[in-house]
This record gives sequence, structure tokens and C-alpha cells, in this order.
Amino acid sequence: MRKLWMTFLKDAKLSFNGLYFYMEIGMALIFIAVLLFVIPENFESSQKFYVAMELEGTDTDAVQRLMGSSDDVTVVDTRFEIESAMKKDRSAVGAVIKKNENKFVYEMILQGYENESMKNLIRAGIEGEVLSHIPGFSSEITVRTLEMNSENLSDRVNLIPVYLTMNVGMMGLFIIAAYIFLDKEEGVIKAYAVAPVEVWQYLASKMMIMLMMGLITSFVTVLAIVGFSINYLYLLGLIVAFNTFGSALGLFISSFFNTMVKAMGVMYVFIMMMMLPTISYLMPSFNPVWIKVLPSYPMMFSLRELMFENGDQSYIVIQIGIYLLLGLLLFIAANHRFKKTLTV
Amino acid sequence: MIKVNGLYHSYSKDENYAVKNVDFEIAKGEVFGFLGPSGAGKSTTQGILTGLLPIQKGEVEVVGYDIRHPKREMFNKIGVSFEQSNVYGKLTALENLEFYRKLFDVETMKSMDLLKWVGLDHVANKKAGEFSKGMKHRLTFIRSMLNNPELWFLDEPTTGLDPAIASQIKDIVKEKNNQGTTVFLTTHNMYVADELCHRVAFIIDGEIKLIDSPRNLKLQHGEKFVVVEHLENDVLKKEQLSLDIDQDKARLNEIISSGKIEMMHTKEATLEEIFIKVTGRGLE
Repeated sequence: MRKLWMTFLKDAKLSFNGLYFYMEIGMALIFIAVLLFVIPENFESSQKFYVAMELEGTDTDAVQRLMGSSDDVTVVDTRFEIESAMKKDRSAVGAVIKKNENKFVYEMILQGYENESMKNLIRAGIEGEVLSHIPGFSSEITVRTLEMNSENLSDRVNLIPVYLTMNVGMMGLFIIAAYIFLDKEEGVIKAYAVAPVEVWQYLASKMMIMLMMGLITSFVTVLAIVGFSINYLYLLGLIVAFNTFGSALGLFISSFFNTMVKAMGVMYVFIMMMMLPTISYLMPSFNPVWIKVLPSYPMMFSLRELMFENGDQSYIVIQIGIYLLLGLLLFIAANHRFKKTLTV
Repeated sequence: MIKVNGLYHSYSKDENYAVKNVDFEIAKGEVFGFLGPSGAGKSTTQGILTGLLPIQKGEVEVVGYDIRHPKREMFNKIGVSFEQSNVYGKLTALENLEFYRKLFDVETMKSMDLLKWVGLDHVANKKAGEFSKGMKHRLTFIRSMLNNPELWFLDEPTTGLDPAIASQIKDIVKEKNNQGTTVFLTTHNMYVADELCHRVAFIIDGEIKLIDSPRNLKLQHGEKFVVVEHLENDVLKKEQLSLDIDQDKARLNEIISSGKIEMMHTKEATLEEIFIKVTGRGLE
């Protein structure tokens, strides 16, 4: 253990004297700044609606009474004004209301990117809005909520699991490989290999460096964004488990190559695959089975559980156990391979 | 200290051997030189002996350990100085030595003493990345002495150093050898080998062609001549005289008696000449 600790202290000193450490800290600070000052607590999704009425005076009053008053509806004078306004706001829609043979007709003006379902939704929305103002109209729609106590995260907090997964689980994989290949390139690995130390001590020290960086950046980020409302013991467990897994995977992949350039292709494929569950995370309607088996999927979702006030603790604990075990197995495999390949 | 039997190594793991059928033994206290040109198989052999390369075929014993089943404690007894300097550029010279010193389980030398020994004490707290090539080489060299090794592997220890530093390094090797350290010296520099080694092995194309002491090699392969430059009737004359021919021996005596010798040296073969004669190849 003394030799492992000595190796860790040396690696920590090298990290503090190098760029990687400060880049990671810098990236965490940038992420915090973006979340706090650029991304709103919740994204506003209201859509502006511009209306021009080509009607007589009394008809105009009648339609305006039906529409009521809303911040999202703007009445303009001409169709040209609608188009100008929509060019400035690419999410807005518009309508021109006319009278034809004593019937009100409306012509929708859309941006062009809306698909059929979106068009139908907008039409139903407008018609529904108008119908609801007709005296005597009542709706038969009932709403049943399956999960009565479901919690929602703010859009800002919802992004933290994505960042933590990328930072701890994926970038760790890449950076630990860079550390190993840097040592190989400088030849210091050979000097270490002819000292009375074990290969696992060299590898474990590198993993400890990754863990140190992962813990610092994760805790700083979560503290800055979420504060003290989550269980930090679970956060510690998740970060340790995911970091162990990510860096052990990085070690295992590195053991098959002798230069960073040769390893880059495989690393790239792994990182891209690990990024795919982000789609399911941000767009829950896309959730095929194959994406759930990718390691980053449970990472993101267990971190999300942690962010909830009443998150599923058993799910979190299970994921900690699984990833610690997987990390350990990968570490044993990497150590076995590196015994043969570290200095070759 | 070292026993090597039928050692083979192929990087491509086929019949294209970088080292083939190498046999030798090195006794305790000996300085053994591995002499050969670049690509001859010197570094491959040293790589296997130090455990940096896996052993494929053959038997190797180093300081009593079977290299097929090496134990990490073996490295408490050996020191390895590499041809290419490999120190942590972002650590100071002192930090480099202190880190490695703490990895050993045996008594170690003091880092500052070693730095003083090779004239690096004034830059002890300077980052090694800012060192010149020669300074890095000296740091790599003294790092290999930290554990007072019983067996010391030196790979081209004087290459690229200025003559004064090279001489200092050679003196250190001699001193450590006098204290009982066994040295395995890999070099293509015949002068270093001649000066330091008790025995040398000539290796070429992965095969050892010959093992003997430099003295025996010179006796066997050199020509016993003396070159004399002397004044005769105020005219400078240069003569090459054989020590095996009676007539030449008499002539040498005559010149010595005349007392007008300006220069005289024996003309034994250099190791390089013997190497070329034995292997048909040069050392560069």
C-alpha cells in the first residue's frame, strides 16, 4: 500500500503540474457557468401567434371577443406584418381571418418545417380555443394521471446527469489512456517496471488520479447547481462506481495498443456508443431495448434518481454495486494484459 | 549472477529472430560487456534479462531468480540505466530520485549524495524537463544506483556525454565494481568496453560470435608489433618491429640502446579491429 500511495502522490504531482487537471476543472466551471447564466431554470415553450383580420368593424370586435386576451396572441393589420414577424421569430405561427358567405374562415400561415401532426395540433388548438368561448360548449375530455406523485426536475438540474456521465464515465476512459501512452512515450514506464513494484499498483494509481479529478469536478458542479438537497453519500458512491468502471475500461482498451493514435479509433467508437443513451434521456419517447444495455444508460438514469427528492434508492445502490463489480473485473483483466504488454 | 541458456527472441513471433541461441554466464563481481552494432540484439537481450521483454524460448536466471517466473523483489537487487533518458520531466531532479528511492524495500543511497556525485546538486530543484540531454542522462544513470544494486545493467552509459562527464561515469562504474557490484554493460563503444570490462561478448545479427577478455582477444587476434620513432643522424625515422622475429628484436634493442627514441608504442589490435576481423562488420 505504501508503494501505491507513493505512486499516487507522484501521479498527483504530475497532474497538478500538467494541463489535463486544470482543463477538467475549467470545463466543470464552464459547465456551471453555462447552466447558471445561459440555460434558464426551465425552458419556455410558449408559441407566439400572430393574427390579421380582414373583416368589417363589428366582425372584428366579435372575433376579438372570442379570442379573449393573451400575451401569446398578437393582432396585426396585414398578412405582410404576420410574415415579417414570423421571419423574426422562427417558432411563431400566424393566421389570417376572413369572412366568406357569412362564415368566418381562417388561413393558417406556418413556417414550413411543421409536420402533419404539428399542423393538426395547431389547428385543433385554434379551433378548441375558439370553441371554448362559444356559450353552452362543454368538453367531455377527462385526464387520468398514472403516477400521482411523479416528480419533475428543472431543465437545469435535468442536464447534470448527462454532464456527470460524460465527465466521469466517458472522458475518464479517454484521459486515463492518454496518461498511460504519455508514460510509454516518455519511457518512464520502463523505469517504473524495473523497480520492485507491481503493475496493478501503477494502474491503480492512475485510476485514483481519475477518481480524484472526477470527485472534485462532480462535487463542485452538483454543489453549485443543486446545493445540499441531494444525498451526497449516494453521489459519492455513484461517482466512485462509474469512475472505476470508466477508467478500468480505458485501461483495458489501452492494453491492446502501444500508441494513442492506434487506440483512438476504438476509443472514439466506445465514446460515441456511450453517448447514444443521451438521446433517450432527453427524448424519452425514443427508448429501444438495445440502448438500455449501453453502460451509460443506467449511469444517467441512476444519477437522475439521485436528483429527485424521493428517488429510487434501491436502483441507485444496485447500480453502485454493478458498476463497482464491472470496474473490478475490467481492472483485473487490464492488469492481466498489461503484465505482458506494458513495456513492450 | 546471470545464467543464459539457449535464448531466442522474435518480435514477430516467427523464425525471424532478433536474438538466437544466446548462451553466457556472468560471475559475481564481473564487468561483462555486450558489444555489437545497432540492431545486433544487445538491447533485446538486456530487455529480457531485466524483465521488460517477455521470455519466449530459453532459460535465464538473474540474481538467482528464474526470469520466467520473476518476483518483484528481484528488482531490489538490480539497477537499470537506460540508453534513452527516461525521467519525469515535470518533476525536479530531486523529486525524481526521491520517488524511486521510496519504491525500494532495501537500504538506499541518499538522493543528494548521488546528485553531487555527477555534478547535478546545483540543479536538484530544477525540473528535469529543462535539463540538457547530458544532464538527463546523468540523472537516469544515478537513478539506477539508488538501491546499491548487486547487478547493474548499463545501456550505453557514456553515449552522448562530453569526455569529462564520460570519464566521471566510467570512474563511478569502476568504483562500484571495486565495491563488488556486477555490471552488465551494453555498448557499441569499444574504448569503454576495453577500459571497463573483464570480459566482452561480440554479438551480431542476434548471435554471440565470441566471448573472452579484452586482453586474451588482443593476444589472440592482435599483431605483436612495436612502432618506434627515433632520431638517427638527426633524421627522424619511424620503424615497425615484430616482437616475434629475432632480427627485429635485436634492432629494437639497438634503438633503445642508442637512446634517441622520441615515441614508442605497442601495436596490439583494438577491440574494434578484432570485432571487424571476427564478425566481418563494423560497430557503428
